[in-house]
Amino acid sequence: MDSEKQVLKTSSTYTPEAIAAIQERAELGRYMIRGYGAFRNVPRFDDLVFLTTSLTRLPLEGYREKCTTKTLIGTRYAQRPMELEIPITIAGMSFGALSYNAKVALGRAATLLGTSTTTGDGGMLPAEREASSKLVYQCLPSRYGFNPTDLKKADAIEIVVGQGAKPGGGGLLLGQKVNKVVAGMRTLPEGVDQRSPCRHPDWIGPDDLRIKIEELREATEWEIPIYVKMGATRVKDDVKLAVKAGADAIVLDGMEGGTAATQSIFQEHAGIPTLPALVQAVEALQEIGVYGEVQLVISGGIRSGPDVAKALALGADAVSLGTATLIAMGCNKPVYIEDYHKLGTEPYHCHHCHTGMCPVGITTQDAELMQRLPIDEATTYVANYLQSLVMEVQSLARACGKSDVHNLEREDLVALTLEASAMAKLPLAGTDFIMGQS
Amino acid sequence: MHQTIPQQIVIDCTNLTTREINQKLKALASEGISTKLLNPAGRHNLAVGITQNIIISIAGPVGYYCGGLSDNINIEVFGDCGWSVGENLMSGNITIHGNASANAAASAHGGKICILGNAGPRAGISLKGATLIVSGNVGYGSAFMMQQGCMIVCGDAGANLADSIYEGAIFVGGEINSLGADAKLELMNDTDWQLLEQELSAFNISARDYNFKKVICAKRLYHFKAKDWGNY
Ligand SMILES: Cc1cc2nc3c(=O)[nH]c(=O)nc-3n(C[C@H](O)[C@H](O)[C@H](O)COP(=O)(O)O)c2cc1C
Ligand code: SF4
Repeated sequence: MDSEKQVLKTSSTYTPEAIAAIQERAELGRYMIRGYGAFRNVPRFDDLVFLTTSLTRLPLEGYREKCTTKTLIGTRYAQRPMELEIPITIAGMSFGALSYNAKVALGRAATLLGTSTTTGDGGMLPAEREASSKLVYQCLPSRYGFNPTDLKKADAIEIVVGQGAKPGGGGLLLGQKVNKVVAGMRTLPEGVDQRSPCRHPDWIGPDDLRIKIEELREATEWEIPIYVKMGATRVKDDVKLAVKAGADAIVLDGMEGGTAATQSIFQEHAGIPTLPALVQAVEALQEIGVYGEVQLVISGGIRSGPDVAKALALGADAVSLGTATLIAMGCNKPVYIEDYHKLGTEPYHCHHCHTGMCPVGITTQDAELMQRLPIDEATTYVANYLQSLVMEVQSLARACGKSDVHNLEREDLVALTLEASAMAKLPLAGTDFIMGQS
Repeated sequence: MHQTIPQQIVIDCTNLTTREINQKLKALASEGISTKLLNPAGRHNLAVGITQNIIISIAGPVGYYCGGLSDNINIEVFGDCGWSVGENLMSGNITIHGNASANAAASAHGGKICILGNAGPRAGISLKGATLIVSGNVGYGSAFMMQQGCMIVCGDAGANLADSIYEGAIFVGGEINSLGADAKLELMNDTDWQLLEQELSAFNISARDYNFKKVICAKRLYHFKAKDWGNY
């Protein structure tokens, strides 16, 4: 009897997680909402490895020889393309979702590294403009705070069609974060649960988008680049349509991409992972002969130098980081533990950005909580983190014999799993076998 | 290319690119000169992104986004207009002597957009503070997610008027096909009538000739509650 008892059986269908999810819904009577991106395991850049040099190719000296990182985005039509010192940008995260201090720190860190940061759903914060030497201004379906004066201050425009965390869904900012300032910037009643639209108010399909892009160009004298950001779903067709509509650059966000709040069903069950999304986007650009002319920025779950290097090798011009920059400034850090407990979570497990009660002052509008995030310290952390990523990318590039990180290529990679082989269309390590092709 | 008559410059659009037309308009705006555009021929994106005072009269129909992303402008169009006229307008006046297609005044923050004719679906969508006046009818989905401002429709309104509206008011002189989620009728008061008389008299329309009804937000769906799902 006793020995039988010790072997507890677990259903593969009704796992502890599935049971908890059913019971949570039974209590709430609605779907679950959370921050972060997909939690499920998906094929990712970690499933690829570099074939660095040995006898067939020569490496560059790791600590001495130059390996350049300059990156240009928006060379197709814009008179003033975005000139970045590094191939890593900071993704659009709204003031509202993020605290003032977090926004300003991201701007300053980006400026220190010579890269761009991006506004978000809710308009351009004057302090953010001041802090950021290169600022991308998002044009979202909600158009909260969008106006021609700020438009003229932008260094690039990003038309947001969708996000990887919620492709086909709109933004969400629960009432606890819609304080007087946030509500004022968005022309909304204070404290309202803001559910942003998912369709743009003034255009609908790709043919209209073409005219919308012309309007934005006319309003900005054809000077600055226009990016189109999409969540990764039907990537090949979507990329081609965005190019046809006149985009200078495509920003593609895979399903691992973070958010401050959405329904967990979108995070887990909508969109495709960043790895296959990137591969399909590159193919789409090549098929219509604009690869290199229309730049590609990829995002969603990118958190290490190797991730960045592999994205570049697969054909991205740059990557964009959201969640990882927040983690760099202290998201999920084991401090103020009692406040994580109040949210019913623990450091390393928190995804409670939607509550507005961020224990470390990042995704909150509460003045006291925000004090926990001193701007200078947060700036240094993010800048250090970005710098370390660049160093890692350079190290890998040199070891592959490249004097520019953009010279990393598919040839330099192989896959460790059959899934990654199929999705990246790369040979399985140690074989000539490409899943689905051979 | 342009011929000067006292205080007004005439630009013939026929052989100019949209870029050239808008550049000319912006240069004239900075000098405060009024302008007449000939032969617009339904062209998209005329007079967009102008943020200095200018008076523009357009002789003929225009395409999408006429006067979009502008501030402090005065435009009169003698003809019909395409989608999203006055999109994101901040201040000034746009008057259309004709019909407007979809999304008239989409997301407009301020100023006044007047359609002396009918407007298509989604008129006043995401309106953020501007005034939209339509002397005829508006199509379905008008004032969807309206956030602030005022919409006056002398004729009928299509299905789902003011769905998910946050604030502001809509006045309809004719029939309302149906109201959208969280929109409700409110009794007209004297101030409302005064406002209508004042706004419409500029177009020789007498507000009292219409049986105006007022639509505002019921504010029952401001907060996301599971029990409300049947309303969507
Ligand atoms: C807190 C937070 C707020 C965000 N807000 C926006 C937004 O306003 N607009 C937008 O296009 N994307 C928004 N995103 C998505 C990011 O722009 C980006 O697509 C995503 O963070 C990339 O994935 P990563 O978080 O794994 O790096 C947000 C993401 C986070 C984490
Ligand atoms: S620590 Fe703050 S930013 Fe990080 S997941 Fe929790 S609430 Fe979000």
